[in-house]
Amino acid sequence: MIEAAARRSRHGPALRLVPPSGIDAEDLVRRFRRTLALDGVSLTVSPGEIHALLGPNGAGKTTLVRILSGVIAPTSGSVRVAGANASANSRELRALIGIVPSGDRSFYLRISGLENLVFFGRMHGLGRRAATHRANAVLEHVGLADAARQRVGEYSHGMQKRLSVARAFLTEPRVLLVDEATHDLDPEGTRRVQELIAEAAGRGAAVLWATQRLDEIRGFARTVTLLDRGRVRFQGSVPRLLEHSEPRRFVVRLRNARPGGIELHDAQRALGHMARITPPIEPGSEHHVIALTEGSVLGDAVAALAGAHIQVLACRQERSEIEEAFLALTEADR
Amino acid sequence: MTTVAAELMKVPAFVRRDFLTAWSYRMAFVTDLVGLVGQALVFYFVSQLIEPSALPTYQGTEVTYLEFATVGLLLGGLIHFGTQNVASAVRGEQLMGTLESLLVTPTAPYTVQLGSVAFVFLYIPLRILLLVGMLAFAFGLDFQSSGVLPALALLVVFMPFVWGLGVASAAVILTFKRGGGLVGIATLGLAFVSGLYFPIDLLPQWLTTIAEQNPIALAVDGMREALLGGAGWAEVAPTMALLAPLALGTLFAGLLAFELALARERRLGTVGLY
Repeated sequence: MIEAAARRSRHGPALRLVPPSGIDAEDLVRRFRRTLALDGVSLTVSPGEIHALLGPNGAGKTTLVRILSGVIAPTSGSVRVAGANASANSRELRALIGIVPSGDRSFYLRISGLENLVFFGRMHGLGRRAATHRANAVLEHVGLADAARQRVGEYSHGMQKRLSVARAFLTEPRVLLVDEATHDLDPEGTRRVQELIAEAAGRGAAVLWATQRLDEIRGFARTVTLLDRGRVRFQGSVPRLLEHSEPRRFVVRLRNARPGGIELHDAQRALGHMARITPPIEPGSEHHVIALTEGSVLGDAVAALAGAHIQVLACRQERSEIEEAFLALTEADR
Repeated sequence: MTTVAAELMKVPAFVRRDFLTAWSYRMAFVTDLVGLVGQALVFYFVSQLIEPSALPTYQGTEVTYLEFATVGLLLGGLIHFGTQNVASAVRGEQLMGTLESLLVTPTAPYTVQLGSVAFVFLYIPLRILLLVGMLAFAFGLDFQSSGVLPALALLVVFMPFVWGLGVASAAVILTFKRGGGLVGIATLGLAFVSGLYFPIDLLPQWLTTIAEQNPIALAVDGMREALLGGAGWAEVAPTMALLAPLALGTLFAGLLAFELALARERRLGTVGLY
């Protein structure tokens, strides 16, 4: 599954290209008592690249982000972020990275968004005037200028997320670590955050985008690492990930060409062994799910239904291609 | 600019943050003031029961219990608020979820510690001055003006001790999450055998011997000599010389404990847990 061939495994060194100042993690292992949260994870993100870190809950995404940001140390393995050793948790490293954490609770809720950003700007070494100037600029950039003097405790979930992004942009970070930034954001909020992150990548930042929302990586991330239970299941480009998608379940909208409505057993008889058809998704609905059996193809199933005077008005995959690939890869050895 | 200077430049940002946060709870300021008035009244009435002859003299000057207790209150307030706030600063950051956000900035742990207490260490003297002012105005306390500067100098020398206790408490909280009580008990023990509110001569002999080595007792006694007896620089210098290494040692031990606790949390991956 590992696309990157020239990668060092835990069994021995091999040739690899080290990015000048992105993320370069090698064979990371992290244990929490008896739980193995990361098991030999290697990852490379080059400057200007958006790399999606995909995985279900408990896959180890947040653990990896926390190791890369220097908050926790790996049990073994090496990690260089923006050219600095992340295990050493140096101030040099922390000056070069921007982090958008997964939780909401990362701001001082009793003070305004502007004061929060000025404070964090000063923690990055900016003087008061420079921090205020920068904070106002990034608030404008993320569309929060009007709420700058409002207490963060009064911000909506989406506004807090954008404030997180703004904080990460206080300095011009060489590496951006984004952990579930769009978790329970509406589509417009998600699009806005993605645009901001893509702009940062356009300016040369190496971006690691941890998510479990599969739909948001297409057209956004260039490369993907799929984590499951602490192990890398796939690493490569998004199109290569989609090659693992073999959709077999489709939602079809059916209508009988003759009067009287669809008789389920007529439809099933027409499909024969090619597929199984379910009753309508909701009572009175024209929508059914057909599940193709191994070796059958969608065109034959549709032709068989048409031959039985059942019109296929619409057809779509029940799950997205990315979702199919994700499930194929993560369920392979469950 | 050196690294240390650059780090110190961050401290005013903490002060501003904490002032704005405290100001957002305006009612707390009011209740604090009401509490101060209550404390002053309690000590006034208790002082009516105690003869000055039952108390030690300072530079040969006989003092009232209210004067004696006011200096104790001054230092006791500093210790109580200081240790509580230093420790709760970290606890508060943990509970709010901001500790990790702070630790991923290029800020040294010692700056986080110093910054977190800076506002408190500015606010406490103001609070104490207010209390002393109220008592002096209402009940006519007889403080020696010549002793004010030496007393303040003693207070400054004593501050690192309070900070050290607070940082040690913060380290315990980081490690045991709810372990702040342990340091609270230790501080209470130290305060008990310090003569803050009653003369240490009243303690059993073996406790009196311990109390004489207690940094809090050294500080409060030196401040009483200065403020109530009018002791000058020459008289308080030996106390300061004794106190300074104890205070700095406590601070160093506290900071070391905090650094070790933080390193342990990173190793275990439990920094943000509470």
